[in-house]
Amino acid sequence: MIEFQLDETSGVATYLQLVQQVHQALRMGMLEPGDQLPTAQQVVARLAINPNTVHKAYRELEREGLARARPGLGTFITRSPSATDPATQARFLAAMTDWLHSARSAGLGPDDIEAIYRTAFRTCFAEGVA
Amino acid sequence: MSAVIEASGLGKQYRRTWALRDCTLAIPEGHVVGLVGPNGAGKTTLLRLVTGQLTPTLGAISVLGEAPAVSPAQLARVGFVAQDTPVYARMRVADHLRLGAWLNPGWDDELAQRRIGQVGLDPKQRGGALSGGQRAQLALTLALAKRSELLLLDEPVASLDPLARREFLRSLMEAVAEHGTSVVLSSHLVTDLERVCDYLIVLVASRVRIAGEVSALLASHRRLSGPRRDPGTLPAGQDVIEQSHTDKQSTLLVRTDDPVHDPAWTVTPVGLEELVLAYMNPANDIPARRPQLRVAS
Amino acid sequence: MIRLTWLQFRTQAVAAAVALAAFAILLAATGPNLASMYAADGLGSCHGGSCQSLAEYFTGSLVDGPYMVLYLISVGVILLAPAVIGLFWGAPLIARELETGTCDLAWNQSVTRTRWLAVKLTLIGLTAIAVTEALCLMQSRWAAPIGRAVGDGAPEGVAAQGRFTQLVFDTHGITPLGYAAFAFTLGVTAGALIRRTIPAMAVTLAIFAALQVAIPLWVRPNLAPADHVVVPVTSLHTGPALADPDGSTFALPAGNFVPGHPGAWLLSGGPVNTAGQPVSTTPAACTAMPVESNPLAFNDCLASQGIREAITYQPAGRYWPFQWTETAIYLALALALTGYCFQRLSRLS
Repeated sequence: MIEFQLDETSGVATYLQLVQQVHQALRMGMLEPGDQLPTAQQVVARLAINPNTVHKAYRELEREGLARARPGLGTFITRSPSATDPATQARFLAAMTDWLHSARSAGLGPDDIEAIYRTAFRTCFAEGVA
Repeated sequence: MSAVIEASGLGKQYRRTWALRDCTLAIPEGHVVGLVGPNGAGKTTLLRLVTGQLTPTLGAISVLGEAPAVSPAQLARVGFVAQDTPVYARMRVADHLRLGAWLNPGWDDELAQRRIGQVGLDPKQRGGALSGGQRAQLALTLALAKRSELLLLDEPVASLDPLARREFLRSLMEAVAEHGTSVVLSSHLVTDLERVCDYLIVLVASRVRIAGEVSALLASHRRLSGPRRDPGTLPAGQDVIEQSHTDKQSTLLVRTDDPVHDPAWTVTPVGLEELVLAYMNPANDIPARRPQLRVAS
Repeated sequence: MIRLTWLQFRTQAVAAAVALAAFAILLAATGPNLASMYAADGLGSCHGGSCQSLAEYFTGSLVDGPYMVLYLISVGVILLAPAVIGLFWGAPLIARELETGTCDLAWNQSVTRTRWLAVKLTLIGLTAIAVTEALCLMQSRWAAPIGRAVGDGAPEGVAAQGRFTQLVFDTHGITPLGYAAFAFTLGVTAGALIRRTIPAMAVTLAIFAALQVAIPLWVRPNLAPADHVVVPVTSLHTGPALADPDGSTFALPAGNFVPGHPGAWLLSGGPVNTAGQPVSTTPAACTAMPVESNPLAFNDCLASQGIREAITYQPAGRYWPFQWTETAIYLALALALTGYCFQRLSRLS
């Protein structure tokens, strides 16, 4: 079973650290579909963190489709995160190009587009924010 | 979600000083609440108003839907651990547990005995012979075995060494995980906050400066840094909580519900400790929250 | 709550039991001997006024002996018991909890403060009353021969006093009960107000001692209107009349015994002339009399000049009504303090 760590100095929210550690473990093969994640009580006993944080992390993993909670049994890994396959990448590149064309037609200059991009990027991947 | 503690306009006056003023809160159940503020800010006063040991001068407070300390049944639903976790110096650990069993109809003796064993307390040892960390664990055991729905702790870890502090918080979090107890933990330290609390109240000079779920608070604050600028030029909806300026640069901590689009700013999220320190700083004027405009849809 | 009270009161209860046991053993060891001395002096079979000389002999034999010491010790224990109870059982009750912060532990369980105080006050208060009254009863039984001898007319002495005198009134009957209840509740209240044990003990002692002096002095004599009587100077049991070195003024203390009224409580007495007015100047005819060497002759001379002693007293029959009244006063004070304590505790912050 995976054993979570907590890096208090990293500035990354606790629940995100747990999520990232699951991602890492899956990537490295230390976790496989069907494995059970530690219960909230086990994590709390080891790390002395708020149990709601564990629930939040597991809900996020469920939302990402990586894990599923089975009532009375625990939370289990359902599948591995997909590596970025070329077909997915090509699809998003095409969508991005279309978007850029539309923005340009609407009169947005490079600086405007960059600003919008940065804002959207930060909002999406901002650290420590729900 | 029902509220464990609801206060409106709560105030407490001693002789001529107000220990607490204009306190309006609605704390939801199932959270670990961090009550943070400097010494003398009113944290102990607020906690004692919740337990019913103090009566309000102004305003109203309801705890678990009832007036505080209104009956033995209500007393059984609220647990309290005072500052410096007092225990009876000449009474043995085992006798303290008997005290709990005799005075609490809902006493969980199995839990009490298990915790005493887990933290390594000798039942025969007298309260006066325990170390600070051991006393804190005994007081916590007594509070947890009472099986209250709400647990209030007044700076329980302030005088403990880091290891004892971690052990105390570990025991507390384990109990929350096991029983879903709502907890209010007061402290003048900001470390361990993000680890343990998911609801925050900052109390400074007898007033509440900010209160809310940690995730929501972190989502609604940003740190902006960029070329020197007058904060008055910020758009409405962005309230400046803290600001510092050099001749060329300005750094602001703003509260806002909307994303910041201005490309001149480098926008970074705010950590909980940073946020708390900004609100605790008496030099910062906290602007009142503007009512949100609702768009008819 | 009852078990908790016992748990916290254990040490003091054991100390009280040990003290009671020691007291009982001491009295039981010496009591039979005292009783047999009484019987051996012929007092067992005689009654009435003719026993007076036998009684005088009996009490005289006790003077300066171990029995007088024992008597004084036993009376002292009963006098001190309420104060000790007030200081060591009453004052720390609330004050110690407030001082050490353990009140936050005790009053945040599932028991209201009112119930906490009610059980503690009742159990410890009743114990206090029982202990004090037990001491009192044991001592009364032990000292019964002395009391009977005094009743038979033995002269007043340190160890032989009428039951209406302050020392005996305070330590016999039911008054110790009232003192114990009052001292205890006084201690508890002082502790609740002052919030620290040692200062509360000091205040309790000061107030209790003050009342123990003030009540017999100013309240007890006036519980009922006093009686007056004028008696011949020669019938007094007191010592020689005092006089100035030059013999020009004299005084006639009346002592503790009212002639013709055995068991009465003498409040005050002084010489009066034939008109009933107080007199202090030595009559011309008696100035030459040497008072120290021949006090009886001096008294006879005063009597021949028409000087008599006017005495104010409370009759013996009022002993028990006074006992009940004074106990009621102290119990009422204890009750008032108790009520105040409850009120104060619910508002304590």
